[in-house]
Amino acid sequence: MGIIRHLQHWLGGSGPSLIVSDFVPDDHFLRLWADTFPWESMVAAVDRHMATYFPKETQRGRPPVSTRVLLALEILKAELACSDEQICSRLRTDFAVMYACGLERVHADRRQSHFVLPSVLAQFRGRLDETLMAELIQIQSTAAMEEGLVSPSHLVVDTFPSEQGSQRVNDAATLYKAKKKS
Amino acid sequence: MVEKIALHVHRPSLQQDAQKVQQQLKKVMRTFGRQCRGQQRLLVQWVRQTERQLLEVGQSVGRLAMGAALYLQEDSSLENPPPQRFLAQLRQAAQHYEQIEQQSRRLIHGHPLPHAKIVNPYDRTIAPILKGKSNAPVQFGKKPGILAEMATGFIFALHLPQGNPDDASYVPPLIEGVDGAINALERSRKPQIQSLAGDLAFRYDSVRQPLHARGILTTGIPSTTDPLPQTASPQQVLAVQQSMSFPHIPSAHQVKVATACGYSRPFVESLIEQLACRGGTHLKYKGHRGAVIQVSTAILAHNAATLTRILQNRLTKRAQRCRRWFRLRPPKPLENNKRKND
Repeated sequence: MGIIRHLQHWLGGSGPSLIVSDFVPDDHFLRLWADTFPWESMVAAVDRHMATYFPKETQRGRPPVSTRVLLALEILKAELACSDEQICSRLRTDFAVMYACGLERVHADRRQSHFVLPSVLAQFRGRLDETLMAELIQIQSTAAMEEGLVSPSHLVVDTFPSEQGSQRVNDAATLYKAKKKS
Repeated sequence: MVEKIALHVHRPSLQQDAQKVQQQLKKVMRTFGRQCRGQQRLLVQWVRQTERQLLEVGQSVGRLAMGAALYLQEDSSLENPPPQRFLAQLRQAAQHYEQIEQQSRRLIHGHPLPHAKIVNPYDRTIAPILKGKSNAPVQFGKKPGILAEMATGFIFALHLPQGNPDDASYVPPLIEGVDGAINALERSRKPQIQSLAGDLAFRYDSVRQPLHARGILTTGIPSTTDPLPQTASPQQVLAVQQSMSFPHIPSAHQVKVATACGYSRPFVESLIEQLACRGGTHLKYKGHRGAVIQVSTAILAHNAATLTRILQNRLTKRAQRCRRWFRLRPPKPLENNKRKND
C-alpha cells in the first residue's frame, strides 16, 4: 500500500473523470473565497522559497504534491477551522475544497483514501517561515489594491494577545478546574 | 542534549557524566515531590532548599555543555549540517540554562522579577502580557500587531515580535510592510498612506513625528482618554494643517476624513474576533515561527473573506461610507444599477 497512499489526483484512480467546477455552485462561499487569491504569484513565491532553502538533491523519484494544493490546504485549514486530518479528508470528498485547491478533474475511485496525507501537509508547513508568510500577505494586499478593492490611505493599527493553546490536559489544570467548579 | 551529542561523537565518558548528572537532578526532584506530598501546597522553604540543591548539582551542566561543543568542533568525521544543528541547539539550551539560573538566584535573594521573566523554558518568547487588565488574570502568550484598512478591515501587514515590546515599536515595521505592498504595484501613480489611527498606546511623540514627516496624519490617535470627535471643526482642521510641515500640508477634506476614521474599539474588536474564528488568537503551532505561520494563514483567510464581501457588496453602512470617502467604487457598478435601468 505504501506509495499508493501518497497518490495524487493526476496519478490515481481508474474510474470516470469528473470536472470539479461543474459540482460547485457559482455562488458557493468557498468558490468565491478561493477566486480572490492571486494563486499564481503566491505559488511562485513559495516555489522560489523552497528552491532557495530546500533545493532538490536529485531529479529522481515521483513528482511532489503540487504547491498550489498544499498552500490552499494550509489556508483552508484556518478558514474552515479544521485539523490536518480533517482538511485532508475533506479534500478527498468535498468538491468545494477540491475547487479551492485548484483541482480541475478527479477520478472516481473508492479505493483511493487520500489525495494528500496529513503528514505531507505537516512537512510542507515545516518549510514555511516568517519572511515567506510576510511576502504572501504582501502579494495578497498588492493584488487587492491592483484591482481597486482596497485602499491603504486610512489605516488602523492595534495589537492583540494570542494565547499559547496547548492541547494537552495535565493533572494540575484538571485539578484546578475541578476545584473552581465545585 | 549533551547525552545525544556524546552518542553521536562516540564519547562514552561524556555520555556517562551526562547520565550521572541527570540522575542526580531527578533524585533531588523526587525528594522535593515527597516532601510536598500530603501538604497540598508548596512551601517556599522547600522550594528554596530544593532550588539550592538543583543549582549545586546543575553546576556541572555548563562544563558538560562546553565539553560537548568542543568535541563537536573537533570531530571532522561528521558531515557539515548535523554538527551545525547540534551546536545551535546546544547554544540555545545553554543560554536558557543561564537565564533560568539567573532568574532562580533572584528569587532566592528576594528581589522582584523583571517584566520579561521566563515562564516557559522551551519557548522564551512566551511572556506575560501586562497591559490594561486589572479585572482579569494576566494573559500569557504572544502579541501580534496588525495594520488594517479602516473601511472593510482588510489587513495589510502583520508584525509578531519576539517577547512583548512596547506597542509603539510595532508602527515602523507595519508601515514598512504596507510600503512594500504599495511599491509592488505596477502603476505609475501609487496610493499613499494618509492617516493612521490607533489607541492610547500609540500616542507618544516618538510615534507621531516620523509619521508627520511622511505626511501621515495622526488625528485618529487619541492623546487623552476623552472620546475622539467624529467630525473635525474648522479650528481643528486649521490646527492640524499648521502642525504639519510644508511639503505635506493636508487638505481640509483629508483632515476631515482622517478624523472620521479615528480609532474605534468596536471595529478593532470585530477584526480580532474574525481572526479568532480562524484560529489567529489561539496558537497551537510550536515556537515563534509556528505562531507567525498560524496568525499569517488566519490573516490570509480573513482577507480573502473580506474581499468576497467587497465583491458581493455585502458591507456595513459605515464601510460603504468610508469607501466613498476613499473614492473606491463599488464592484460592477453597472450590474448594481441594472435593476434601476430595466
